[in-house]
Amino acid sequence: MNEISGRIWLFGDDVNTDVIHPPAFYSLDPDKVRRGLFHGYDPKIQQEIRPGDVLVAGRNFGCGSSRETSVRAIKLNHVGAVLAVDFARIFFRNATNNGLPCLTFTRQEDLLSLRQGQHVTVNLEDATLVTEDGVRIPLDQPGAFVRRIWAAGGLLSLLPNGSDAAR
Amino acid sequence: MAGRTISDKVIDAHSADDDGTAAYRLVRVDAVLGHDATTALLIDDFERRGLTIWDRDRVLLTNDHFSPPSTIEYADISNKFLRFARDNQVTNLMLDRGICHQLLVEHRLCQPGGLVVGADSHTVMGGGIGTCATGMGATDILFTLVTGTTWLRRPETIAVRFHGELPPTSSGRDIVLELLRLLGESGAQYRCLEFHDESRPKLSQDDRFAVANMAVELGAKFGVFVPDEVTADYCVRRDGELLATPVLPDADAVYERVLDIDLSALDARIARPYSPGNVVPVSEVESVSISTAFLGSCSSGRLEDIRDAAEEVAGRAVHPAVRFIVIPASVEVFKQALRAGYVETLTDAGATFNHSSCGACGGIDKGVLGADDVCVSTSNRNFRGRMGHWDSRTYLASARTVARAALLGRIGPDLYRNEGAR
Ligand code: SF4
Repeated sequence: MNEISGRIWLFGDDVNTDVIHPPAFYSLDPDKVRRGLFHGYDPKIQQEIRPGDVLVAGRNFGCGSSRETSVRAIKLNHVGAVLAVDFARIFFRNATNNGLPCLTFTRQEDLLSLRQGQHVTVNLEDATLVTEDGVRIPLDQPGAFVRRIWAAGGLLSLLPNGSDAAR
Repeated sequence: MAGRTISDKVIDAHSADDDGTAAYRLVRVDAVLGHDATTALLIDDFERRGLTIWDRDRVLLTNDHFSPPSTIEYADISNKFLRFARDNQVTNLMLDRGICHQLLVEHRLCQPGGLVVGADSHTVMGGGIGTCATGMGATDILFTLVTGTTWLRRPETIAVRFHGELPPTSSGRDIVLELLRLLGESGAQYRCLEFHDESRPKLSQDDRFAVANMAVELGAKFGVFVPDEVTADYCVRRDGELLATPVLPDADAVYERVLDIDLSALDARIARPYSPGNVVPVSEVESVSISTAFLGSCSSGRLEDIRDAAEEVAGRAVHPAVRFIVIPASVEVFKQALRAGYVETLTDAGATFNHSSCGACGGIDKGVLGADDVCVSTSNRNFRGRMGHWDSRTYLASARTVARAALLGRIGPDLYRNEGAR
C-alpha cells in the first residue's frame, strides 16, 4: 500500500467524529457502519467515494468520540489515506492502529492549493503528495513507531502472540 | 534535571521500558475502563485470537450506552458485551449502575497518581482526583486488556491556575466552558492540562470532575487536578483511608504555558451550536425558545448539579413547552439525590428522571432530538447531529442554567438578571 491514488474530498477544521459517522449508524454490522460515513453532513459523499480516494482537512480532524466506528466507516469505504494540518489525538491512534494512514502537511499553506475532486497520488514511502498537475507537496514523515504499526498491518499484529511480537 | 509535571512523573513511574528519551514510551496501566458500545467492537478480534485479560481485577466494565437496551440490535450488542465480561470473569462488571466515568471515580481502581486508560474519550475525568486517565479506541484498549501496557507520547503540560472566589451561581461547567472560549477546540491538543486550584474556597470535587471531563473537548490527553485536601477528603470518604501517595508537580516544573484564571469574574457561560468551543457569556446569548432541557451525562449529572437544579425549580413549574430530562450520573448519585429530596422537588416541578445511563447524550437512547428540537444541555458536546437529528440544535451550559431555561421555556441574556430579586 505504498502508493495511494484517488480523488480529493476536501473538508475544513474541527471535523468531529459525529460528523464523520453519526451515532445513529453505530453498529456491529459492517454494512450499516459503511453507509453512515458523513451521512448527516452530506449523504451523497458515501455513495460517490471510490477506493483510493483521499480525505483532506484542516486542523484537528477527528476530534470528539473514541468510537472506532468512525475509522471503520472510512476504511470500509476504502478511503486510502487522510491528510490534514493536524489530527485529534484519539482519532490518530485509532486510524494508525487500524492501518489507515494519517499524514500531516509539512507546510500548512499547501492545503490552500488543493481542490475538491482533484486527482492525487500519495506516496507513503517518502511522504509526499503529487497532484494531477504534477505539483509535489511534502508531508511530515510519520516516524518509526507509526511506520512499524503500518508495516505490521495494524496494532494487533504487535500483540505478543501476533505475527510481529513487540518484545 | 528539569522539574517535572504531574504527567511527567506519572509516566516515568509507570514506564515499562528503559528509554526515557524515546518519543513513545511503553507504560504499565493501573486500570482499564470500558463500556458496552466501544468494548463490543473489540470482542470478535479478542476471541478470534484466543486472547486473555492480563489482570481481570484491574478492569472495570459497564453497560451505560444501552442501559437497559432500547432496540433489539442494542440488546444483542449488550448481551455480547455482558457475555464477554462474564466469560473473562471481569471482577468489576457493573450492570446498569450508571455512566462508566462516574463509576470509575466512585471506584478505588482510580487513584491520585495512577495511570488509567478507557475505551471512551471522557476517561480524562479521572483527572478530577489527580489520576492521569485518558481515552482510546477499541483496538488500543484490546492491546492494553491483553498486555496491561500501552504506548504514550510524553505530552507537554499547560498549567491552569484558578484564583479568586467562584460566584455562587457559577460552577465547574462555567469554568471549563470559559477555558473552551479562551483556548478553542484544539487549544490543548496532545497536551496535559494541569489544574492548580488556588481559589478560595476551593472548588468542590463535583466542580473538578466537570472541568476534567471536558479537558478532551480542548483536545487534551490528560486533564489533571493537583491533588490537595479536597482530593484527600474524597478518597478517604470513598476508600475509608488514603490508599495512594499523591503525585505533585515539582516547584520548578517546566510548563509550555501558564494560564491564570480569575474565577471571581466568571458569570454563567453557554456554548452555542455546533461546537463546544463556541462559547459566550449567558448575558450575551440570543433569546431562543427551547423544547428540551437535559441535565445529565458524565460531564454533569452529579449531586451538586442536581442540587443546583432543584434549588432553581423548587416550588415552580417547568415551562409547558419544555421536556426537562434529568439523568443522575450513577445509581449512587441517584440514591443521594433521593435522600436529599432533590428528586421529589424536580419531579414536582415537572422534570422527568431517566435511569442512570448516557441517555440522549450520545444520540443513542431515550430523549434523542428531532429536527425541530432545541436543547439546552449539561452534556459535553453539541456537535451537529450528536444528540439526534442533523437539524436539531444543542446549547451547552451548567445545571443551573439548564434549570432556569427549563422554567422560562427559553434561553436568553436575561437568565441571570435581577439576581438580587430572586
Ligand atoms: S454520557 Fe455522553 S459523553 Fe459521557 S460517556 Fe455517555 S455518551 Fe459519552
